[in-house]
Amino acid sequence: MKFKMRQSSGVTILDISGKLMGGADADHFRDMIHCLIEDGETKVIVNLADVKWVNSTGVGILITGYTTLRKNKGDLKLLNVSNKIRSVLYVTKLNLIFECYDNENEAVNSFS
Amino acid sequence: MADNIVIEFPSSYRWLNVIDLICGEIAEEMGFSRQALNEISISVIEACTNALEHGNKCCPESNVKAVFHSLPERLSVEVFDFGEGFDFEDYLRHIPDPSNIDQKRGRGIYIMQEMMDSLSFEKQPDRGMKVTLEKRLNGKAKTTDD
Repeated sequence: MKFKMRQSSGVTILDISGKLMGGADADHFRDMIHCLIEDGETKVIVNLADVKWVNSTGVGILITGYTTLRKNKGDLKLLNVSNKIRSVLYVTKLNLIFECYDNENEAVNSFS
Repeated sequence: MADNIVIEFPSSYRWLNVIDLICGEIAEEMGFSRQALNEISISVIEACTNALEHGNKCCPESNVKAVFHSLPERLSVEVFDFGEGFDFEDYLRHIPDPSNIDQKRGRGIYIMQEMMDSLSFEKQPDRGMKVTLEKRLNGKAKTTDD
């Protein structure tokens, strides 16, 4: 997993590429979320445009980020979710938890 | 296309991408719908993830083996680990609610059960576990088409 971080209207956008699965990805993502919280950046959009698939461990990584940010009065929303990832969210009913957007402006504006 | 395809790889997440590609090629060749193809790929990746994480405990010296059987009416995939395994019977009795966000792990088997037509576990005589996943060619996809 690789990522780039950028800001838009007070919202942090994490552009992730590669695969979101177990191993080092989990530590990497958790550390990234904790750094953001320490900096007071708790509104986060995870852009999955360049992530083809996640496994259940990857879903767990996203959930950890979501719950950590929510406990810190923030939120984590998903952008550009592929059909494969949508399938995993759908079957686990996590589509009811995660807000998913196809348009970046809409995702950013949803925080205001 | 050969009826059976066998791939064996070290316990590393990096090889799951190869599994994804192989699943896609086989399922497409067999005539599965795009959504069913996705479900097969997701499920076999889950089985391989379980094999390398829980079966082989991520030990790089222990391999994961996947055997794809392309049958007239269905695709059957067997995934083998060569580790000490885990108590799948106990797990199956206590499958966590996948939508519970306090639950960080444990969704893999649920995902496989929901996406495939059948799923079975079998402890191997010497060491390790065999997981068998099957998808019928004429079955409906389990998740929505976008």
